[in-house]
Amino acid sequence: MDNGTCQVYEDEIQSLEEEIKLLAEKYEDSQQESTFFSEEEILMSKKSFQGEFQGESKGHESPSDLKAQLESLETDLSFLMKFTGIRFTHHSKKTVEKTKNRTVRKHRLSGNCHSLSFQLEFQLLEIQNKEDVSAVITDLSIIMESGEDLDVSKFVSSTEERGDLLTFFRSLSSYAEWYEHRRCTFQHFKVR
Amino acid sequence: GVFAHLEMLESRAYQAAVKQEEREQQEEKLAKLQARVQELRLQRDELRAKVDLQQKRQLGKGGAVSDPAQPSARAVLEWKIKSVKATLQLFYLTGISGKLTKRGVCFCISTAYEGTYLDSYYLDLLAKPEVQIHRHSIPIFIPLEQIAKKYLQTDIRRFLSVLLDHLNAYVGRRYQADQLQEHFSDQIEGTLQRNSLCNLLVFNYAVSSKSKTFPFSVRLLYGDLCCSLPTEVVVSCAPDAPTALAEAAAAHSELFRLMALHKAFRSFSSAEESVD
Repeated sequence: MDNGTCQVYEDEIQSLEEEIKLLAEKYEDSQQESTFFSEEEILMSKKSFQGEFQGESKGHESPSDLKAQLESLETDLSFLMKFTGIRFTHHSKKTVEKTKNRTVRKHRLSGNCHSLSFQLEFQLLEIQNKEDVSAVITDLSIIMESGEDLDVSKFVSSTEERGDLLTFFRSLSSYAEWYEHRRCTFQHFKVR
Repeated sequence: GVFAHLEMLESRAYQAAVKQEEREQQEEKLAKLQARVQELRLQRDELRAKVDLQQKRQLGKGGAVSDPAQPSARAVLEWKIKSVKATLQLFYLTGISGKLTKRGVCFCISTAYEGTYLDSYYLDLLAKPEVQIHRHSIPIFIPLEQIAKKYLQTDIRRFLSVLLDHLNAYVGRRYQADQLQEHFSDQIEGTLQRNSLCNLLVFNYAVSSKSKTFPFSVRLLYGDLCCSLPTEVVVSCAPDAPTALAEAAAAHSELFRLMALHKAFRSFSSAEESVD
């Protein structure tokens, strides 16, 4: 019986604790990704809390905390969508790999920016560094409604090649604004 | 004699007792650790089984048919909260995200070079009495005040857009220089000199061909702060260098003007390899 044996046990404990944490997160992620509740179900849940017993088990947030949290998040989201003009209509993700420091998820995202719609698929790799998390996009695929336009398709393919999602959104935003502005101007002249 | 002998026996007994106690403590500690290991192993195995079952179900394979009980209102709300959080995180990928505050809004500006997301900066704005910057983490060498003066009051989207262009370009230039130092350090001679804005780079590098090395020195000026490609490139070699070298310098100069720094290096490194 010596320190050597102690150390072996302690190492195993640490490795088991890490594995458990990872498995729990994997389970949670998978649950989240494969579940879907409609807006009505969500509305009903918000209402049903009104009558529910306040004394929930400890360690859980109170129903009013949850409702308040959800409202605050939805307000933020609504503001961002209005401000940037970018609206996400559908988002699904699937965790492809999860280890201690690396998470890889496949995302499928559709939405529109003003009147221009897009569909995206990409893989997002997140690496936990000492201080922060770094994110890298790979396998980017973009489908745009106005894809027949030559300029748009050139832009889309060069953005896809470089995995440059940020530039895609920035350019989409300014192009959509210009497009919208032009459309309004034409409308204006038509009315006249 | 007798007392000394008694003392010795006492001391021996005492030491034996101490050792015995140590041994017992050690055994107890070990037993506790063993128990903990068993407990964790069990927990881990249960989780593994849970995850496997979940995966089987999702693939439509066998596994027990367990109709999940009607989800509680709490579960539904918790799901929705996670879902909205995930959508908010997506905005991070677009370059502009943030949250509303009591007195205004705190924007988070993200930057990226091609597919790699780099630094993010925050900008805390107050809405009243007029739009103003409360706090921020924008580096001091970015002309924030200038940009704010021009656009903040009249067109806040434009303000953010211009700021984003500056920040992304800065981060892009810095990334290129970092990549160069990381991947081509063997070709760079001495230190790569750069300013904090990373819009002026000066360094010496060497290209080898047919077991000879040819030194070049280069000065890159990025005159457009919203651009991550240089506006002025000067590549020079030794004055007595052969014409082939001068031609190479001109070719390199073109490359630096047209493409990212580390990509330009990659391109003439592989060109050299193929020549040999």
